[in-house]
Amino acid sequence: MNRLAWLWIGWAAAVQAQDARQIMEECQRRSRANSQRYEGSLKVIDARGRTSEKRWRYERLGSAGNSKAVIRFTAPAEVKGVALLVHNHPDRVSDQWMWRPAIARDQRVAVQDRGTRFFGTDFTFEDLEERDVDQYEYRLLGSETLEGEECWKIESRPKRSKSSQYTHSHVWVRKRNYTFAQIENFKRQGLVRRLRYRDMALVQGIWTARTLEMHDLERNSRTILYLEKLEYNVALSEDRFTLQALRRES
Amino acid sequence: MRLLRLLSLPYARKHRLRCLLTAAGIALGVTVLVGMHTANQSVLAGFRQTVDRVSGTTQLQISAGDAGFEESVLERVQALPEVRVAAPVIEAVVDSGMESAGRLLVLGVDMLGDRSLRNYDLEEHTDEVIDDPLVFLAQPDSLIISRRFAEANGLGHGSRLTMRTMDGDKRFTVRGIMKAGGLAGAFGGNLAVMDVYSAQKVFGRGRMFDRIDVALQEGVRIEEAQEKLKALLGPGFEVEPPAARGERFEAIARNFSVSINFSSVFALLIGLFIIYNAFSIAVAQRRAEIGILRALGATRHQIRNLFLMEGAVVGVAGSAAGVITGAAVARAVAAYLSEYMGSVYGVAQKAEDLSSDPRLLGGAFALGVATSVMAAWVPARQAASVDPVQALQKGRFQCISEREARWRAAAALAVLAMVLVALSFRTVAWLFYAAFAGLVLAAILMTPLLARVLTRALRPLLAAMRPVEGALAADSLLAAPRRTSATVGALMLSLALTVGSAGMAQSSRSAIVEWVDQALNPDLYVSASDSIVSRGFRFDPSLGARLRAVEGVEEVQMVRSPRVTFRGIPIMLISMEVESLARRVRRRVVAGDPETMWREAAAGRGAIISENLAIMQGLRVGDVVEIPATHGVLRLPVAGVVVDFSDQRGSVLVDRKVYVKYWGDETVNTFRVYVRKGAAPEEVARRIQSQIGGGQRLFVFTNREVRKYILKVTDQWFGLSYVQLAVAGLVAVLGIINTLTVSITDRRRELAVLQAVGALRRQVRQAVWMEAVAVGVIGLALGLGLGGVMLHYIHIIIRDHVAGMNLQYIYPAETAAMLAPVILAAAFFSALGPAETAVRGSLVEALEYE
Repeated sequence: MNRLAWLWIGWAAAVQAQDARQIMEECQRRSRANSQRYEGSLKVIDARGRTSEKRWRYERLGSAGNSKAVIRFTAPAEVKGVALLVHNHPDRVSDQWMWRPAIARDQRVAVQDRGTRFFGTDFTFEDLEERDVDQYEYRLLGSETLEGEECWKIESRPKRSKSSQYTHSHVWVRKRNYTFAQIENFKRQGLVRRLRYRDMALVQGIWTARTLEMHDLERNSRTILYLEKLEYNVALSEDRFTLQALRRES
Repeated sequence: MRLLRLLSLPYARKHRLRCLLTAAGIALGVTVLVGMHTANQSVLAGFRQTVDRVSGTTQLQISAGDAGFEESVLERVQALPEVRVAAPVIEAVVDSGMESAGRLLVLGVDMLGDRSLRNYDLEEHTDEVIDDPLVFLAQPDSLIISRRFAEANGLGHGSRLTMRTMDGDKRFTVRGIMKAGGLAGAFGGNLAVMDVYSAQKVFGRGRMFDRIDVALQEGVRIEEAQEKLKALLGPGFEVEPPAARGERFEAIARNFSVSINFSSVFALLIGLFIIYNAFSIAVAQRRAEIGILRALGATRHQIRNLFLMEGAVVGVAGSAAGVITGAAVARAVAAYLSEYMGSVYGVAQKAEDLSSDPRLLGGAFALGVATSVMAAWVPARQAASVDPVQALQKGRFQCISEREARWRAAAALAVLAMVLVALSFRTVAWLFYAAFAGLVLAAILMTPLLARVLTRALRPLLAAMRPVEGALAADSLLAAPRRTSATVGALMLSLALTVGSAGMAQSSRSAIVEWVDQALNPDLYVSASDSIVSRGFRFDPSLGARLRAVEGVEEVQMVRSPRVTFRGIPIMLISMEVESLARRVRRRVVAGDPETMWREAAAGRGAIISENLAIMQGLRVGDVVEIPATHGVLRLPVAGVVVDFSDQRGSVLVDRKVYVKYWGDETVNTFRVYVRKGAAPEEVARRIQSQIGGGQRLFVFTNREVRKYILKVTDQWFGLSYVQLAVAGLVAVLGIINTLTVSITDRRRELAVLQAVGALRRQVRQAVWMEAVAVGVIGLALGLGLGGVMLHYIHIIIRDHVAGMNLQYIYPAETAAMLAPVILAAAFFSALGPAETAVRGSLVEALEYE
């Protein structure tokens, strides 16, 4: 192969990468909101068909990886008040604390534990972090039709600064509205989790999936998260996203 | 073998009881050896097993002695790239509060990360606690228990059990049951797992952890990570593989192991005496038989081998019986040791299964046989050297020739001289021990000489009491020095060991009582644990102010006493408000100016060390002690040395502010409470219980209760000595009964001659009685004397080589006074039967040889 051919391949790859990144940036731009709030209803269905349910309230301030979020469990009664505070950083791994009202103290969630399941759901602590475009490298794998919708299939790999349990992910982005349709997460052993975004609705001008379904392929269990009372750009103050606030509101 | 069958077997059949007693001597030694060591090994194995099962896939464990460390250390460890998982742990042994359950090992873990380290293997219907730890974490009363504990206490999923926590009695809910085996088998299955942050509250740890368990990233070498973690955390942290905890426990319990070894040697030594004694008698009894054999052409070699073979047979039988009985008693001893070590050292272990080491059993068996053969060696040599002509001349054998007597005396003096020289090298352990053994040997060699001297001294007294009978008794002893010295020697050694053990126990106890009187003078002790030495639970220091507010309380002192590592050994670090302590107690200061010592220590400029630490580590006033702490290395000059028995390996007393500064730990183990003049301690104790005890875990002990407890633990420690005492006393009694019985039976002809020439039965009978009592008196005099000398050197061994305890020499006069009538009575009663047989038997039969 001559030098020209190499240059062409290099240019084509760069353009492809550029395309993938542009798509992801567009996704992020379209979903951008200064804040978000919803009430989530979780249903976990394990491999034997047993189900369990939980409810939480989610609030987020900021976006694009520079954000703070609180997940506060509201049901069942025995877990009510337990909360997770997440501080996402654009340039490094997020900080997470769990608030435990029964013993009135916070507990830092170690980075090593981010790959563990989030309280019996099929989400991991890491899955609850906000993904920022800059923390990943992208490659366009092509186009595919998923559940009747034309999608781009993009491979994302975490950059060195982003500690992740996943080696890479495949992201399906709907061409119609630049929303995520599906994410498949891979570890060294292969595909481990699949997240589907369904029940799309336009909420305050932002296309939003109101049902998220995470399938843990290793355990063969599924978690369905229904987003209710979804609001964007609500007035949330910075001090709601502190350990003091967790303590105050418990 | 033929000789064994033709000669030894009939003799054994004829003297069944004596043979049985002889074998019992070795069996006793092997039993003690096997029983004690198996029990000790089982306790250590129980601890190792608990460590192993609790560790899971942990590769390294980070701790700071008993002191614990702040939570922030966890984040630093987790940030190290070599670390895959770092999980905090709190471990405590508690009284489960359930009648059938006993002690429970509670493991506080972080359920988020801990699942990567330990396999909880829960029963099916309770496994959601692992799958979804939210409920477990949200409910601090959650417990996971083992199937065994659940079954033993009738507990199931959702059952409630009450534990006394630092916040008072709390009910816990069983939310998971672990299947048998694996982690659930730790601590004999008496295991409960709870959330580590809840455990901090339950056990009063503040925001501290006991330990961090670490698993490494794939491909990282343990040594490499160990070095990096040590460099990261500093010298105050121990970073070791889990197995190292077993070694640390062994180091803590070292003195106990030394004591066990001493007991085993002691027991075998007693076995050796019994065998020696029995064979000496057998040789004496069978000398005519030996003479005939020699006359018929048997070589000296064959005769010697015959007796050695007999020794081996007795050794095999005794050792086999000893191994079996040792293994049988080991279980009971292991349970006792386990409980004792748990209460004294506060270490989680439970000897559930006996750890029967085939090497130990084989070794004990071989040692038993070897001891028996060794004990038979001297009598066998004596038998081999029997001259056929002399052997057939009745009575002559018991004489010791002038030449032999001179040789013995010279050898004894030579050994004694060497011993005295060697004993001056106190620091060279092996030389000192050899000299100690040499001292015993010199005593044995000198026994005939000393017995003769004492018999001559006794003769006028005996003659004054009964002119004919007394003189006969004394002359009989003088005429048969070999027989006399065999009996006296055995008695002397048994009594010397008894006196040594009793004296040691008495000196130690007296020193501990003196220390308790001086150092432990508060009226009340408020402890977080149900035992004053247990450190499972800790108080928040704020309780001090609440205690001071209780009516009748004058002063409160806070004590925190973790075990830390000093020069590689675990010692106790005692932190207190030294200024207050100096005002309240009068300690025996061994080195240093008391005023300067208290002043410097109170100001945090000096440390007060225990005498045992000073001796064992060669520390003097002015030397600097360096103790690695979690916040740097504590370097303090020794301000003074005091007598302190808080820990067998030594203790260092520092001011509380120094401890808090270097360990960042403000918790308290015990509050020492002084009540106001006129206030009744019991009444103040009741007030503390009613005003504070309701809302929190708290135990109030009066001074008397603490003293009683310490003395009880001390007595438990010396329980072994008391057993030794009893055994030695028993052996002394058995020895004198055995030898006197044989000696009198052996002299039936001689006694018959006396009767034939006109002696009255009464006179013969009384002569025998007086002879027996005289042997008792001589044995007592020599035994009590040798015991006194041995005690002196045992003190040196204990001080310089074992425990660093500088004990006051106290001769166990009470024990000696108690032994005297027992031995004399035993001597007297042992002579009754044979004397009657001798005077009532047929004169014709007794004199048939003539």
